[in-house]
Amino acid sequence: MSAHFVSLLDELRRRSLRMASAVEDMLDEACEAVLRTDHALAQRVIARDAEIDAEEVEVESEVIRLITLFQPMASDMRLLCTALKVNSDLERIADCAVNIAERARHLDTRSGVHQNSDLRHIAAIVRRVLRNAVQVYSAEDAQAARQVLGEDDAIDAFYGQFIRKLAADAAQSPEWMAAHLDILSIAKNLERVADHATNIAEDVIFLRTGQIVRHQAR
Amino acid sequence: MDCKIEALGLNLYYGGFHALKDVSIAIRPRAITSIIGPSGCGKSTLLRCFNRMNELIHGVRVSGQVRIDGTNIYDPATDLTRLRRRVGLVFQRPNPFPLSIFDNVAYGLRVHGVTDRARLADAVESGLRATWLWDEVKDRLHAPALGLSPEQQQRLCLSRLVAVEPEVLLMDEPCSALDPVATARIEELMRKLAARYTIVIVTHNMQQAARVSSEAAFMLLGELVEFGPTARMFENPQDRRTEEYVSGRYG
Repeated sequence: MSAHFVSLLDELRRRSLRMASAVEDMLDEACEAVLRTDHALAQRVIARDAEIDAEEVEVESEVIRLITLFQPMASDMRLLCTALKVNSDLERIADCAVNIAERARHLDTRSGVHQNSDLRHIAAIVRRVLRNAVQVYSAEDAQAARQVLGEDDAIDAFYGQFIRKLAADAAQSPEWMAAHLDILSIAKNLERVADHATNIAEDVIFLRTGQIVRHQAR
Repeated sequence: MDCKIEALGLNLYYGGFHALKDVSIAIRPRAITSIIGPSGCGKSTLLRCFNRMNELIHGVRVSGQVRIDGTNIYDPATDLTRLRRRVGLVFQRPNPFPLSIFDNVAYGLRVHGVTDRARLADAVESGLRATWLWDEVKDRLHAPALGLSPEQQQRLCLSRLVAVEPEVLLMDEPCSALDPVATARIEELMRKLAARYTIVIVTHNMQQAARVSSEAAFMLLGELVEFGPTARMFENPQDRRTEEYVSGRYG
């Protein structure tokens, strides 16, 4: 069984990484669509969602098939569990990117709120965190994964400040309330992406060490 | 740790071949411990050290200790008949004697001098009940044991051991001659027996070790490479050689 199984595992790994890379692109494009008010780009992100949904189902089916047919042990089993969990995080990140793209299409740019520099900042950090998470997943690097975990706390803190400022801005210009709410939704989705990216990093630690580090104080 | 069987620096040689290399292991009472490893790794040899069955093979030399309840069974004063009554062994192929079902189960007691008919009948019944065989054979106790199915024969061999009230049951690939349904029954029986007996099983079937044992030992080339909770052995082995073996990459 060995060589055959190893090649099937490799194929699954490549497939999951291709999906990760596609999802990373979707988030980048969704953020650009907001910051540049590019409706065509937003539309493209929205259109890719069905492709990711289908791929999520395919990867999940393949993981179940490999577990059932080969009854894997040790690091093989951990890889399959990790692929399954990462798969669902990737699909949800794609959903967040779609939500952001929808807000980009809807956003009333006359308000100028999308030029918010804090939004630009939070988008840049979250994109970086996702890129790093995908990279540690690709390299299966548990040590680098621990560094990704540290970033999430900073994002959460920044997001808290962002919301307070946004509430103050909205009070100043209630005539742009719909736009403020779009920005709130974009920021919320970015914050969720960071959470999913953190999950991926945690799964990489499990993959390499067998330790479940979720819900631990950092 | 509570410990029923303990090997300490155990070495065994078949003539010039060093089959067990400095093996130390502590096996818990009333639990199932599995020993896994590729053919020729020494797992059956280690198992047979626990009731000194290796000495039946010519040219075997043993050093080190095996303690059962703290007493070294390799002490020259050990009564081997009594040891093998306390520590029974079940083989790969069921090996009932060419006698009746009743006489198979009564055999051990008769060897130990029991002649009282009522006592024999009681022991045979409780031995057969312990392996769920009683209801299947109670109406034909005097029929030949060789007429039973292979799985029933294996359970009969367990009844034969249980009848002499042992403390430890050693099983050397007890299911390798059985189909999956029969295997599942023997595994279920092992779980039941583990409430009363210390069970050590040698198996080639890793899934079986994963299913039935609470602790597992991995052996390679006469060495005990890793020993610990079965779940850890199969989820996250500590030694690279164990990882390679359990994930099917060895050799």
